[in-house]
This record gives sequence, C-alpha cells and structure tokens, in this order.
Amino acid sequence: MGLKLHCRNQKSGFPRRWRKLLPRLVGILLLQCFATGRGQSQVIENEKPVPVVSGTAGFLTSVTAGQTLLDTQINPVLLVPLGDHWLVESRGEFEGQFQRQPGGGAFGGPVDKHLDYLQADYIANRYVTVTAGRFLTPFGIFNERLYPEWIRALQPDPLILPMATASSDGAMLRGGFPVSPAANLNYAAYVSATGIGVNGVESERHVGARLGFFFPHSRFEVGGSWQKALQDDRKNAFGFHFAWQPAAVPLSMHSEIVRSNQGSGYWVEGAYRLSQAQFWQKAMRRTELVAREQQFFSGNISSDEAQSLGLPGAGTRETDFGVNYFLKDGFKAVASYGRQFSSAGDFNQWTFGIVYRFLVPLGREGTP
Amino acid sequence: MKRTLIFVFLLMLALSAFAGSSSKKGPSSTTPAVHAADADTMRMLGEQRFRANCGRCHAAPQKFPPRAMSTVLRHMRVRATITDEDMRLVLFYMTQ
Repeated sequence: MGLKLHCRNQKSGFPRRWRKLLPRLVGILLLQCFATGRGQSQVIENEKPVPVVSGTAGFLTSVTAGQTLLDTQINPVLLVPLGDHWLVESRGEFEGQFQRQPGGGAFGGPVDKHLDYLQADYIANRYVTVTAGRFLTPFGIFNERLYPEWIRALQPDPLILPMATASSDGAMLRGGFPVSPAANLNYAAYVSATGIGVNGVESERHVGARLGFFFPHSRFEVGGSWQKALQDDRKNAFGFHFAWQPAAVPLSMHSEIVRSNQGSGYWVEGAYRLSQAQFWQKAMRRTELVAREQQFFSGNISSDEAQSLGLPGAGTRETDFGVNYFLKDGFKAVASYGRQFSSAGDFNQWTFGIVYRFLVPLGREGTP
Repeated sequence: MKRTLIFVFLLMLALSAFAGSSSKKGPSSTTPAVHAADADTMRMLGEQRFRANCGRCHAAPQKFPPRAMSTVLRHMRVRATITDEDMRLVLFYMTQ
C-alpha cells in the first residue's frame, strides 16, 4: 500500500499562501489538544489495547439485467492503538469483479485495490478527537458506519451513496458527548485540502460538517450534514439522516436524504429480525428480513458526468427486498432482489452470497 | 473560500479550546454515579449502552478478548462518536 504524493494542479481559488498556512493551523490545533487533553484515565493492564486486524471477506454473485457478476472482496482493517490517546487506523479494499466476456468463455475482469482510509486519531478529551490523514468523509451515516459488508443489511449500495462521500485528505475534529441525561450530541467538522493521491485516486478539496443527536432511551438518532466543494463548481451539498431501533421490536430503521448539485434523493431501509417468531425459533432468530425504498433525482450535471461519479444517468427509483441468515457471529448468508425503474430502462437485480467478519488480535489478548 | 476556511479553523480552535478547558473541571455529572456503582450495576448499564449504541448500526457481536475489545471500542469511539462514558461502560460489560 503505497502513499504517493501528487503535486496537484492548484487552481487560482486555492492560493499558495493558504497551502503554507493550512499545515500551520493544523499544527496549532494539534498542539492545543496535546496541552489540554490530560483528563483521560489510565487503562488497567488487562484492558490495555493491542493492535488488531479486523475486516470483512465476502463473495457475492449478482445478476443485474441478466448479466452475471462475481464479486469477491476483502476489506482488512488495521487498528494500532498507541498509548492512552492515539489510534492509527486503516482500511484497504481488494475487490475482484468477474464477468463472462461477450461471446462467452470464462469469467474474467479487473482486480481493484485501494486504500479507503489511513488516519491518525488523537483522543484529546471526552469532547474532541482530532483526526489527520485520509479519512472517510462524515456525510450522512452510510459511508462511515454502514458501508462494511458484514454491517449493511442489503449488499447493493444506495443510489445516492456517491454524493458528497469522496474520501477526504486533511484534518477533522469530531466527538460525542452527553448534553442532557436523555441526549448525546455528536459532531464532525473537516477540511480536505491536500492532494494526497492513493493509487492515482485523488480526493476533493472541500469543507464540511455533520451534527447529530442520539437519544439513547428511545434509541433514535437524527442529524444533518453539510459540505462545500472548494473546487470546480464550488457547490454546497446538504444531507439529513436518521436511525431508529425501537426497544420493543427487533427492528432497525435507517434513512438518508441528500440534496446537491449532482442530484438529490433518499433511501429508507428497515431490517426486522424474526427473533419473536413463535415457530422454528432456532432458525427464526438467526433470520433477518430487509426492505429498502430509494429514489434518485438527476441534478445539474450531464448524464455522462453522473455515471462517471457512480450515480444513475437518469432519474431512478428502486425497491429492494432481502433476507439475511446469520450462520454464526460475523458470518452470514445474504440474498436480495431489487427492481430498478428508470427512463433508461427497468431491470431486476438479484444478489446472493456469504459475508464473513474476522478479527485477529496482534498481541497478548488478556484474560476475560 | 478564504472566509470559509478561516471560519472553519476558528470554529475548530474555539471548540477545541472550549473542550480542553471543560475537561479540566473534572468528569461530567453522570460519571460519579457510575464510579460509585457496583460491578453488577455497571454491567447492567454497560449492557444497556451496548444495545443502544452498537445496535445503531449492527447486530450484537460476540465478546472478544479484553485487550482486543479495548482496541475495537477505541475505534468505535472515533468511528461512531460514542461518548467516553458509554465506551467505558460497554468495555466493562464486554470484558468483565
């Protein structure tokens, strides 16, 4: 995994003196956190964190509009805690997508590898964590929290996922803390300013923030996101998200709404675990039913531009249903069916596969 | 753009300064109650926080070895912005 610095073609909107000033401002910020973050308690020996390799391995077969795609993914996550305050974390993605070539023959296709994030986190105090490096852009909740295959309830990405979620290279402040006995506030504010290219993929220059409230008693979370691009059209993007897990029923609801120059849209998803079923209880409590409704509305960019960003080329509506069976912890079989409706044509999408979440401590484990 | 950058960094500095000064005042009002609670109460609270926080995104995972769990929870504190107190209670529940 090689980090490659690119001298980007800086535009007049990002003058040289700012390029010099930004690292200094980040330095001041880090120094301040060093000076103020001495309130953390010591960790007892048995709970001293050790480096960990975790991640997901998945093998999925999808049939989209009659075209079969074999998708094999491994997403290793490396976590290296340093002292009481630091965490270095990274996630890579190795993905092979194999299709039968036109005219028949064996399956073949590209194997893609890239670095999703490589960041250093400094937990300054109970309110602030400072992050620097390449990080997942905290816009909405799917990109940061629901993306891993072992977490997501339906394997196909939401249609609006590519909007405002390009990786960020820069610095971020984030944290979560209680503002009352009934509510926790969480926030993230970030600047993506440098031009660090990873395998030729460069991030955008943008600033943004996310603010959310989580109500633990009702298990309800709501929040909003904003991002302003500092390049090209320099447009704003806005997002809204919510999550709800009612205590009385094993239901998990998530939703996001996004509005930007590239388009707008929403998705809403519900996952229901059949653990309350009165029959075949052993199997039912391992079974989860999922449904997702989503829509994308074209924005002020051309169809080709939209498709190059991973968005649909035209206004699209999609409905998906799925079932997940948890064979054991972190190991599940998945199946889903979706139908997409668009002026470019309607089609079905079937997905089947298995997903496995692994975790390997790289050191003494401690005694339970 | 300059104004935006200046605004964002001033906001970050102000927030960081505010947070730093607050941390010197000592733990939040809920923490002493947790410290005074016995292990059973902490486990019960930990389980509640575990279900509320971890369940926001994924099904409950198995318990991992304590030192690995400690790393995972530090990761989750950053990734899922769970609170410091919730992290400690969940860690207690998952390791004791």
